[in-house]
Amino acid sequence: MAILGQLLVGLSRAMILFIVAAGLSLVLGVLRVPNVFHGSLYMIGAFVAWTVAEAMGGSPARLWVALAAAPIVTAAVGLAVERTLLCRLYHREHLMLILFTFGVMLVLNDLVKLSWGPTYRSLVPPEGLQGAVSVLGVALPRYNLVLLGAGPLVAGGLWLLVHRTRIGKIARAAATDREMVAVLGIDVGRVFAVAFGVGCFLAGLGGALVAPTTSITLGMDHTLLIESFLIVIIGGLGNLWGALVGSLLFGVAHSVGLLIWPQFAIAFPYAITAGVLLVRPQGLLRSVW
Amino acid sequence: MHMRRLAVLVILGMVAVTMSRAGAGPSPRLDRNIKVGVVDTYSGPPAVFGNDALNGFRLALEEINREGVLGARIEFVTRDEKFSPEIGLSMARELVLQERVDLLVGTINSATALAISAFAREQRVPFIVWISKSEQITGAKGHRYVFSTSENTAMAGKALAHALSRRGYARFWIGAEDYEYGHAVTNSFWRFMKRAKPEVTLLGQTWWRTGEPDLVPYLTQILQARPDAAFFGTGGAGMANLLRTMKVIGFAERVPSAIHTAIDVTVLRPLGTAAPEGVWGTTDYLFYYPESPDNREFVRRFQAAYRDPPGFPAFHGYITAHFIAEAYRRARSLDRERFIEALEGLRIRTPVGEVEMRACDHQAVLPLFFGRTRRDPQFPFLMAGNLVTIPGREAMPTCEDIQRARAQGR
Repeated sequence: MAILGQLLVGLSRAMILFIVAAGLSLVLGVLRVPNVFHGSLYMIGAFVAWTVAEAMGGSPARLWVALAAAPIVTAAVGLAVERTLLCRLYHREHLMLILFTFGVMLVLNDLVKLSWGPTYRSLVPPEGLQGAVSVLGVALPRYNLVLLGAGPLVAGGLWLLVHRTRIGKIARAAATDREMVAVLGIDVGRVFAVAFGVGCFLAGLGGALVAPTTSITLGMDHTLLIESFLIVIIGGLGNLWGALVGSLLFGVAHSVGLLIWPQFAIAFPYAITAGVLLVRPQGLLRSVW
Repeated sequence: MHMRRLAVLVILGMVAVTMSRAGAGPSPRLDRNIKVGVVDTYSGPPAVFGNDALNGFRLALEEINREGVLGARIEFVTRDEKFSPEIGLSMARELVLQERVDLLVGTINSATALAISAFAREQRVPFIVWISKSEQITGAKGHRYVFSTSENTAMAGKALAHALSRRGYARFWIGAEDYEYGHAVTNSFWRFMKRAKPEVTLLGQTWWRTGEPDLVPYLTQILQARPDAAFFGTGGAGMANLLRTMKVIGFAERVPSAIHTAIDVTVLRPLGTAAPEGVWGTTDYLFYYPESPDNREFVRRFQAAYRDPPGFPAFHGYITAHFIAEAYRRARSLDRERFIEALEGLRIRTPVGEVEMRACDHQAVLPLFFGRTRRDPQFPFLMAGNLVTIPGREAMPTCEDIQRARAQGR
């Protein structure tokens, strides 16, 4: 019983990790860009959600409006960077792309500091989502039910986008062979822009979703960026379902590790990551690279 | 008759004048202003604390400079160490070697404070630490040139152990952020808890990374272990996360919890009503307690100048300025060694009562306030109730403890 309850608690974190890592993985798969400022967009998503919720005062819809607005803002920020600068660099080697996105990360983080200042912010969830419910003998915050619902919704939405839409199919094709797609007369640049926009949208959505559960603060992007990269790597580069498997493994290892050996729980997810990479260096699922 | 009376009065008057300058001769005047170099964090999240301390310091200097110190003024320059010991150290070096400051003051970052402390010792420049809470500063790594006007992890741990040892809890759980402060405060708590009540047992401990966003699994796990009480070691944004999660899952209702600074205004104000009620905590400054005229007056003037009520860093900044001014008045010169001797054992009047700079370890003997978080309809954030004052002498490690720690540190 205790283990099941603890699993459920770990799953809510896994859902956030999945949403953010899926965005990172999409960009890695389609554009072949390791986007280092993905974490900054997650942080911006959280801050924007806070600002929107504050602006709406006591309105009961404030959380939902914030959850809708924040990812749109981060997608816009991401697209602005992609259309003005990043789109000129696609032919460069990976090291250059990492350096470029790293530079953008520093700029964005300073902009966050200028816009929101150094203090941390708190977003209080609406009345009905405060407090906790007892599930399987564990106190599960009510708001975590939103997270547990959001994960499958995003996964389903992504599946539809990638497998059921024209742009998704082209994106998959471009991921495999971008030259062949271009030869067929398809505007690869536009496909890349859409994929990048969706990736940034997911980063912002993750940030907005996490906002009511934690301190919204400068530096909240660091751990998440590292964890998302690890998840993408153990899942298989560019594979969305790999991101899902990786996040579940990561989140669950963490919360169950706490039950088994609380003093060293910090190390559990990383030990699992190392174990996976020893056994399957290419990742659990097929990498599109 | 008349003449004799007058003569007696004149003699008495002369005696009074001489007495007032007891053993001093004419008061010397300084030929230049006193220059203080402030190194602290003024960018990034910890800047909130750095700025609060500086505001308190500035407010005190306005009062001090109105009457002057030995005919001179106290000036200061600030440097932003950006929460980095390397930057902080080079800033301190620049302030001492180029700006030629008379003494250094800072910083929120314990690692920076220790780095500057080592430099201050080598350069023989006084350095007063005003925010960072590492007990090493005036403990194991203390020396002639370093002072602290901040409470520290040893005092916090001892005060909380002292208060909790009387409450009948036998089985404890310790949860903390895996960084210097988290380790220092929990070590100190457990050491003094064991000393105060040898029969207590540690059921288990949990450590999480700084910046860990989701503390729910950590706390649900502790709930399942059912300890009698929990002690947490965390600060800054991590503290906000912990308190928020405790409130959401109703942790403090089920496991009595104690955290240093949990009742602090700088912690509770940003959380609003997201903070849990019933958490035990300590702090060395509250703007609403003690309700003494001195504290009220300090708060009134601080709010007139900066709108918000002062936090604990502002209090530290304020008393630091007064310690500096009084020490120069006593030293009667700009000589660094005489300044240090004057500061040792110096007692000044502060908003929380008289505070002494203990001579044996250069640690300000600050009282700690122990209480429990509670809603107060007058304020949009939680306040502390059931407040008791733990005198500084009781909260501090003894001079023998300090000597032992320093001997081991060498």
